[in-house]
Amino acid sequence: MTEPTVRFDHITKRFLGVQALDDVTLEVAAGSCHALCGENGAGKSTLGKVLAGIHSPDGGKLFVRGREVRFNSPRDAFAAGVGMVHQELAYCGNMSVAENLLLGKLPRRRGFVDRAPLDQRAREMLAEIGAELDVRAPMSDLRIAQQQLVQIATVVGAGADIVVFDEPTSSLSQADADRLYELIERLKARGVTCIYVSHRMPEIYRLCDTISVLRDGRHIATRPAATLSESELVTLMIGRELGDYLPQGEERGTGKELLRVERVSVPGKVRDVSFSLREGEIVGLAGLVGAGRSEVAQAIFGLENVTSGRVFVDGEPARISEPKDAIRLGIGLVPEDRKRQGLVLGESGLHNTTLPILSRLSRALFVRRREEETLASTFFSALRVRTPNLAAPVAGLSGGNQQKVVLARWLAANSRILILDEPTRGVDVGAKAEIHRLIRDLASRGNAVLLISSELPEIIALSHRVLVMRQGELVTEVPRAQATQELLLRLMAGVELVPAA
Amino acid sequence: MLASQETGLVIVVALVVLTLTALAGSHADRLSGTAVNNFLNSNTLIQVATDASFFAIMAIGATIVIISGGIDLSVGSIYALAGVSMALALRALGQASPSTIVVVGLLTCVGVGLLCGVLNGMLVVGLRVHPFIITLGTMWVLRGIAFVATKAESILVPFSLTSVTKASLGLRGGLYPVPMLVMIAVTILGTLYLTRTVMGRHIFAFGGNVEASRFAGLALGRIQLGVYAVSGLTAGLAAFLGASLYGSASSGDAQGYELYVIASAVVGGASLIGGKGSAVGAMLGALLIVLIRQSIRTLHFDQNYEWIVIGCAIIVAVVIDRWSAGVTSRRLSRSSAAPATGGIT
Repeated sequence: MTEPTVRFDHITKRFLGVQALDDVTLEVAAGSCHALCGENGAGKSTLGKVLAGIHSPDGGKLFVRGREVRFNSPRDAFAAGVGMVHQELAYCGNMSVAENLLLGKLPRRRGFVDRAPLDQRAREMLAEIGAELDVRAPMSDLRIAQQQLVQIATVVGAGADIVVFDEPTSSLSQADADRLYELIERLKARGVTCIYVSHRMPEIYRLCDTISVLRDGRHIATRPAATLSESELVTLMIGRELGDYLPQGEERGTGKELLRVERVSVPGKVRDVSFSLREGEIVGLAGLVGAGRSEVAQAIFGLENVTSGRVFVDGEPARISEPKDAIRLGIGLVPEDRKRQGLVLGESGLHNTTLPILSRLSRALFVRRREEETLASTFFSALRVRTPNLAAPVAGLSGGNQQKVVLARWLAANSRILILDEPTRGVDVGAKAEIHRLIRDLASRGNAVLLISSELPEIIALSHRVLVMRQGELVTEVPRAQATQELLLRLMAGVELVPAA
Repeated sequence: MLASQETGLVIVVALVVLTLTALAGSHADRLSGTAVNNFLNSNTLIQVATDASFFAIMAIGATIVIISGGIDLSVGSIYALAGVSMALALRALGQASPSTIVVVGLLTCVGVGLLCGVLNGMLVVGLRVHPFIITLGTMWVLRGIAFVATKAESILVPFSLTSVTKASLGLRGGLYPVPMLVMIAVTILGTLYLTRTVMGRHIFAFGGNVEASRFAGLALGRIQLGVYAVSGLTAGLAAFLGASLYGSASSGDAQGYELYVIASAVVGGASLIGGKGSAVGAMLGALLIVLIRQSIRTLHFDQNYEWIVIGCAIIVAVVIDRWSAGVTSRRLSRSSAAPATGGIT
């Protein structure tokens, strides 16, 4: 047996009283693609960050290519050929692609940055991973997928042959994710060892040959991917049998129309979109990133400049010019970007939950705090939000629990029309199943749900019908019986439209 | 009911008071002949509180602005304009009953302050320019208006105002506790406003995350307008106390106060990034800065060192505050490691 490229030897790490890693010992074979799986908080990202020099372990040893190493910073790791592609991309948006690629080692001549070799070197680094981008464009003009390419190029182009990917597809569309998979496969073919942190089943099985499972900071198992079934993997990750991981939704009768959108347009983003939502109905909204899904959601919620079209709530024409109007009409939006748009991270779960409805909870300007706490704790226990107490800042909660706080907000606001934009993005398997159950539950109580998701299995499993958007327009509606991943993908991408059966 | 955030500040203030008491020495009282500490005596303490009251009242306004993620550099100028407006208005009013004079004076001061604050707010919201720039501009414009309106003269205000501000309220020995009492009242009102009212909670959310506040349906423009209005209002109130205490108002009053005020707010735990701060903290911050100034006098240091000492003290205070906040959050996270649900602790 060959020497493992990376060996974690009894690694432990504590954060502020939380045992993030507990005596983890595992080996990564040279040239393999090794998955680190586990629920959020299982320690998989932390382990990746220990390898990349971002966290230094409290105990245990780390070996790279047989030699013990001690990384005090990402720079040290980089020097040893270890790089990391982060879940949340860090870059200087105002600087060019080339500058970002070579930040820290900008070519200089007499103290000034030398442009020509800078651009040249940047192009070479991008070519290394087969990417072509305008190296002079400001970073902020790039799409997320392109920004990620720059990050991969930074790492690989600088000579790293051990790359940690930390949930790299969490904010990519299906098509961009597919391109990323191909890139990772190419890297693998070149002998680059990939450590792939993820909890998305399909991509793990597509890319990885070995799977290690972490739970509560402990190493649970390492198996070849070929011998570990998907359901076994889920069981290992959550430590219990999960009855219905993603069961098919059942057809059910729906009630009266709650929301009707008629020929709504937002200049440059959405054109002539019409659809309706009924009581008890979950309607999926599929489309590639940039197809205008979130824009439709935000237009209904009063956040976009709607130039034409009408919206009806309960059959009555509704004037929604700002979110306040939408909230008053019983519309709730769980936004795409939980941390930026959904929550005030430094504030408590309690305050985040009641933020939109404080005036309803107040008497003579003062917030009735007892009532507020009762309301929030009712929904926190209904949604099983795991938090030390109502006053704990939401910044400290896991992704799934943060998302539940945003959901609790709209339930507390009595919203009957719920627009959920990527409700399970960055949420672990257990919480995901809970959120799915919750969405069904909400619908069965007579609410209408518009579900936007980049995960087609999620849309197919939950929706009664699926709307497909492409380039700002609603192209078609697919009833649940016909909704397959393949058909939806074709419709979303606009290739070879199969004639309707 | 002090939040952990303020405990550190209380300790620092207490330490300064103890040190000053220990080092100040004492003198013999003229009447009774008993030994009186040069610092720890009612006269000096009320003097410190009076000096602090102007800063503290405005610092509470500034804290509210800073929590929203903004900044108000114009409070010193608002103070000056409100003061001279009152002096001019009362001169125009001529002879009147003392109560009329007090009511007109107070309304003019507070009204002009509020108006200037609303102007700041409208400019910030309407022009979408960073409040630093807007209030830097109005800082000069408003003081300029005061300058032009008074032709740079100092204007006396009627004695009935001074008699209210310097009222002894039954205390002996020429003590006047009114400014201090107003400071305490404003601190209580500010605390209630920030922690208990809908508006206060909206300000925290706005400063913590504007985008999330928009998605939660808050009226963003109104929140921003509101914080500058409150800041102007507190400057007007401080101007009323100041002008009536000293018996005159001039366009040169309160030069540089904006920096003392912002320093008080920041020393009091307000974060310039927004989303964090408290009225009690601002009051304690103002008190600490005035105490440090006082210590130079009490300990007979060279007055010329005042700015150096205050500058260093501000930086040290903020670093200590950050450090103690870190310790507290670590302690909190350790105690919350045990699973629990629901209920507020």
